[in-house]
Amino acid sequence: MSIAHRDYWRSLEELAESPGFAQLVEREAPRFRDMLGPLDRRNFLRLMAAAMALGGLSDCGPEAEPRQLLPYVEQPPGIVPGQARYYATATTRSGFATGVLIEHRMARPVKVEGNPDHPASLGAASAIMQASILELYDPRRAQTILGQGQIDSWEHLITALFDRREQLLARGGAGLRLLTGAVTSPSLRAQIALLQQQFPAMRWHQWEPLGRGNERIASERMLGRPLDRRFDLDNADIIFAIESDLISNVPGWLAYARQFAAHRRPDETGGKMSRIYAIESTPTLIGAKADHRLALGPADLAAAMRYLAAITGAGPQDWQQTPVADAAWLRAAADDLNQHKGRVLVHAGREQPVEIHLLADAINNALGAFGQTIRLIEPVAPSGSTDQSLEALVGDMTAGRVDTLVMLETNPVYDAPADLDFTAALNRVPLSVSLALYADETAMASTWLVPATQEYEAWGDARAFDGTITIQQPQVRRLYNGHSPHELLAVLHGNTLPIDYQLVRDFWQNETHQRGIGDFDRFWHEALRIGIVENSAAPTVTATPNASALTSLQAAEKPVPGVQLLFREDPLVGGGRDVNNPWLLETPRPFTRLTWDNAALIAPATAKRLGLGIGDVLEIADHGRKVRAPVFVLPGQAADCITLPLGFGHTAGGLGADIGFDAYRLRTSAAPWITRGATLSRTGETYRLATVQGHDRVAGRDLVREGTLTEYQDNPDFLRRPETDQSLYPEYKYPRYAWAMAIDLNSCIGCQSCVVACQAENNIPTVGKDMVLQERIMHWLRIDRYYHGPVDNPAVAFEPVPCMHCEQAPCEVVCPVHATVHDHDGLNLMVYNRCIGTRFCSNNCPYKVRRFNYFGFAERDDRPPESWNPEVTVRNRGVMEKCTYCIQRIRHAEIEADKQDRLVPDGAIQTACQQSCPTQAIIFGNRNDRDSGVARRKASLLDYTLLDELNTRPRTSYAALIRNPNPKIGDREA
Amino acid sequence: MNTALVLSALLFLVLLLSVWVVPVMGYNTQQRYQPEQPVPFSHKHHVAGLGLDCRYCHTSVETSSFAGIPPTETCMTCHSQIWTHAAVLEPVRQSFATGVPLRWTEVYRLPDYVYFNHSIHIAKGIGCTECHGPIGDMALTWKWPTLYMSWCLSCHRDPAPHLRPLNQVFNPFWKRTPDTPSGKLLMAAYHIHPETLSDCGVCHR
Repeated sequence: MSIAHRDYWRSLEELAESPGFAQLVEREAPRFRDMLGPLDRRNFLRLMAAAMALGGLSDCGPEAEPRQLLPYVEQPPGIVPGQARYYATATTRSGFATGVLIEHRMARPVKVEGNPDHPASLGAASAIMQASILELYDPRRAQTILGQGQIDSWEHLITALFDRREQLLARGGAGLRLLTGAVTSPSLRAQIALLQQQFPAMRWHQWEPLGRGNERIASERMLGRPLDRRFDLDNADIIFAIESDLISNVPGWLAYARQFAAHRRPDETGGKMSRIYAIESTPTLIGAKADHRLALGPADLAAAMRYLAAITGAGPQDWQQTPVADAAWLRAAADDLNQHKGRVLVHAGREQPVEIHLLADAINNALGAFGQTIRLIEPVAPSGSTDQSLEALVGDMTAGRVDTLVMLETNPVYDAPADLDFTAALNRVPLSVSLALYADETAMASTWLVPATQEYEAWGDARAFDGTITIQQPQVRRLYNGHSPHELLAVLHGNTLPIDYQLVRDFWQNETHQRGIGDFDRFWHEALRIGIVENSAAPTVTATPNASALTSLQAAEKPVPGVQLLFREDPLVGGGRDVNNPWLLETPRPFTRLTWDNAALIAPATAKRLGLGIGDVLEIADHGRKVRAPVFVLPGQAADCITLPLGFGHTAGGLGADIGFDAYRLRTSAAPWITRGATLSRTGETYRLATVQGHDRVAGRDLVREGTLTEYQDNPDFLRRPETDQSLYPEYKYPRYAWAMAIDLNSCIGCQSCVVACQAENNIPTVGKDMVLQERIMHWLRIDRYYHGPVDNPAVAFEPVPCMHCEQAPCEVVCPVHATVHDHDGLNLMVYNRCIGTRFCSNNCPYKVRRFNYFGFAERDDRPPESWNPEVTVRNRGVMEKCTYCIQRIRHAEIEADKQDRLVPDGAIQTACQQSCPTQAIIFGNRNDRDSGVARRKASLLDYTLLDELNTRPRTSYAALIRNPNPKIGDREA
Repeated sequence: MNTALVLSALLFLVLLLSVWVVPVMGYNTQQRYQPEQPVPFSHKHHVAGLGLDCRYCHTSVETSSFAGIPPTETCMTCHSQIWTHAAVLEPVRQSFATGVPLRWTEVYRLPDYVYFNHSIHIAKGIGCTECHGPIGDMALTWKWPTLYMSWCLSCHRDPAPHLRPLNQVFNPFWKRTPDTPSGKLLMAAYHIHPETLSDCGVCHR
């Protein structure tokens, strides 16, 4: 049986085998010489003398400074020094809650985990959730109240608001406006309702820069009213994804990703697999997992959807007559959809125009998806009518009809559509109060800046995608004098001493009374303990889809020549909300592998036509507004589409200020997601982008094995190779445990949650852009992204790579000081206090998973000491480090099991990456136990190890990637 | 010629001293280190004299990595009744009244890269005095071992002689008697695998 071997590549430079790339890879520290400058004999001796002198100074004699121990005066019940405790709460983005458990050490929050009982998490935690712990401790957060730019006090603010209140009461609230993001919080909504009673003329505006308005409008037209959807992917044999964010961004995506992945593992489902079709203008995670994908510009996409609607019987038949590109592909997909009526889901991303959503829904309706794969619920975050939009607010502000504007954790000066000119309008408002986590653009332009509490500092509540309510409890006393939105609203309401605890608790006391729940204390404690209010999920409702919703739709527009700009959310900084978080800035983006920047993403063919290369700075002008952006050439991007990731280029705030370019400046209210007619001009400048994709090269090795479902069904071990088992080295014996990991490439969706989870658990420092450029990124776990096939639409494979923990480890034999050694469980240990920094081990590691502390990166991380995980050593300068399989968790479980004189049960140890993974792609356990999850996965015929020809016998193995292509379409490469 | 011989002999001596003697001198090992404490707490009085169990104050020693330093309220359970006006106990009363913790000076200090766990040692029959020495007889607490890694390893490589019956773990005056089960027997009973105990990852991570 021949081995299905495909040529994978990781970057365009590698594909082209350019000499520059070869040079780059040759040296692991490529620009080291640039940094040092010319090195002559004299300078060399000077440096060596300094090194000798400094080396001699370190650590002589016993430690001089005694340390102190401070016991409690009264020990709180339940707190045991040295043990972790977990408290439930929730974190929200765009109003939607995801349940978390926060790990505390001696009452200090150190890590965020997903709450297994919460429907939006199921135990998983996204990169943004993981990184929120750093936001809590961020010393760059706003810490003082500013009135007219001067340091001021909460009392003065209350006085100012009370003075204004008298006037407002007199005129029924006219002139008072409230601006928030999407609000799901029942208690906050109740407070706003109360405020509206008090000030009948007050108006509440909601602004979400990356909202799901198009989806809502389509819902209104299709179903008669705006309804939220829940998806049941267990029922979906075919998913047709139109630039869909189903497994990357929709509220509840962590839960959907789990369902999605459960149907992508043929070795566990008995050879059954769902099939994914994707059409998209810019790569998405679900597109990367798709069995068939087309890269289409927006006009082609609209035409394709009409064609599809016609064939599936959802639209007028004459749409079939319009010629479309890829007609054969679409027909085959449509036939497939037709054959699976009731078992399909067509999902369009929120950036798609209303007509695409309507088309998708019409097809869903025609194929019986409603009620099967789509369930409807009343909206979780109902938004007001259009006269309560940001446009209406800006109009009134400009006309001078607003004299008091209260903004709750929203940043319109930065993210409002550029044509509205929110800043100018804001300057016309005499009293504006901005409650903000950072001294951001809006806060600095308002008359009052009130530092907000981070979500883990205050009481609150929020609802998840399915309506489930979580009462948020503070995890720590407020670190930086923040105030919660509840408190600020209570001041407006006439409360001079608002306390968030009382406000939220009183609301729930009232609420439970109305719901007829007798024992409030029991309800309250139980809700806080488990992190959800039981039975609070929204019931499904039925609505009859309007079969004639498409009649108003015209034939597709003809594609217009010229370049179009697509505005898309950056996958990690959430439209600007999380741009101040160093972990999220340094985590490589799934496709571009970019860190610390955003870039204009452009298709290879378009780049060639325009004569652009990676790093060329482009000036993009539209309606007199200009933005300068570096170019990144992205395989799989649709031709003539430039994706501009939103969320960067802040001018104020925390760490994120002055990083990247601000694409919001080109975004208008009429065209929030796509715009045509922008002019591009080359500036001739270049900009260095810190992408990690070229850090190592593939060199033709089959690091990713891939095949098709048919091949697998015909011959399940078609990807196996004859095993080579001979070794010169003596065998190790593993009498008790043999810790091992299995990673399923079919499940991995490339979301980067594990990368940040590892960083949080293992005290991994950030290094900064300059160091990333020198290939000194410290992540112990990376997700390599491989391409194969044509550059304009390649197939994508994601491959998480932690330490392999080889049984015959090449690193161990070259260490001169035994700093990396093998243990009796088969772990490849790294002993930091022995390491002298020769870096031989890294040189000899074929998997390139070792990381070296070129500087004291951890010392330079400005985070308070209590935010580090006390169970893991914070590494020093000059020390090698790498994935330990979360040895601290292994030791904890072993000690607990040893105390009870038994073996560690399967599932008692979850590594941080495994725990955070939404799709359960990673599994860890004892290979010696035949019944363990990891042993079962390793017994799969798809199981393989990386570079097995080297006979390193890695403990980490992979399940080969299987795709389920439609035989009528054939292989992508064909 | 002679001078050269003397010089090299001297050099040899210096090297010998610096390698074999200086590291184990009290200055370096800080054995018998006895820092001043806010309250001159005597283990001798409380343990040998009054017969208090270790776990009365060090409550988490069986469950957690950290044995636990008693909160002020533990002191006050007795000292609100007896010695209520003793001058030496003034800091304790102050702490209890003001809510400000006592500040003890750490005697046994391990480096940050060492992760010691009390509970597993207790569970496997290592008595307190194996590391804390004659703690029951210490008027002021002092450091008994060197806490060198070689000292830790001497037991991790050969635990048998250090094991005792589980009911004697907290007895500071326990002595091996002819009736005591042998170390080998205890090691088998406790399922201790000494070959794995000197893996670096047992303590360093």
